[in-house]
Amino acid sequence: MGSTSALKELQRDLENKANDLSKLQKDIAKNHQVRKKYTIQLGENELVLKELDLLNEDANVYKLIGPVLVKQDLAEANANVRKRIDYISTELKRLDGILQDLEEKQNSKKEAIFKVQQRIQSLQAGKGKA
Amino acid sequence: MASRGVGLEMEKMSVEQLRALKEQADLEFNLFQDSLNNIRTATARLEIASTALHDLSLRPQGKKMLVPLTASLYVPGTLDDSEKVLVDVGTGYFIEKTMMEGKEYCERKINLLKSNYDQLLEVATKKKSIADETGAILQAKLKQLAPIQ
Repeated sequence: MGSTSALKELQRDLENKANDLSKLQKDIAKNHQVRKKYTIQLGENELVLKELDLLNEDANVYKLIGPVLVKQDLAEANANVRKRIDYISTELKRLDGILQDLEEKQNSKKEAIFKVQQRIQSLQAGKGKA
Repeated sequence: MASRGVGLEMEKMSVEQLRALKEQADLEFNLFQDSLNNIRTATARLEIASTALHDLSLRPQGKKMLVPLTASLYVPGTLDDSEKVLVDVGTGYFIEKTMMEGKEYCERKINLLKSNYDQLLEVATKKKSIADETGAILQAKLKQLAPIQ
């Protein structure tokens, strides 16, 4: 009787751990998606910066804000794009850190699940013999 | 020599592992194909833009034209100075350029895309050859296992 309830407990533990693992994996997938979006934006902003750098001081730059094209100062546009690039880079670094953390948690969760599975197996083997 | 080394490693792997490896390589190759197609589409659009620019540069100022307001509504108008063009450079920024600079911009972008395409093609070909090699070893293994049964 004792071993049956121990078995049930182990199986419940396994279920919980499996749920945790699938949540971790979903978080990792979401992280990848956001990283992809940011990487694309970073690339686009760097292209814009390159174009702006090629311009003379007196060139006209306009920004599309909603349906309105607004004339912008070249220096201001440069500063804005640079700021955006810095922001995106910091976000990406932050996401990298989170991703590493998530992956470590995922690995340790997998190990824990494996151990529980082993214990279940040995319990079942023990019961079978008895 | 390098591929031989990888081949030896794959020889030691089981059928399931080989199958998984091949599936993953195939998947990655398909992703590369999609990217290659995207680049080709973008390059084509840029070339159309470049042609349109060139055509525009031939038109005299004051020429009567039809201006699209929506996909189905055009209004008559006259061509203003075609020496100045507004270039969409991304992230909502537009730069006023001369016709010459506009053409150069298109050229630059097209060249950038072409070099990206070539680089991607190289990587994709390598991935395909890995997928093919994995598939071949998989087949050989399956043949080995079959007669034993």
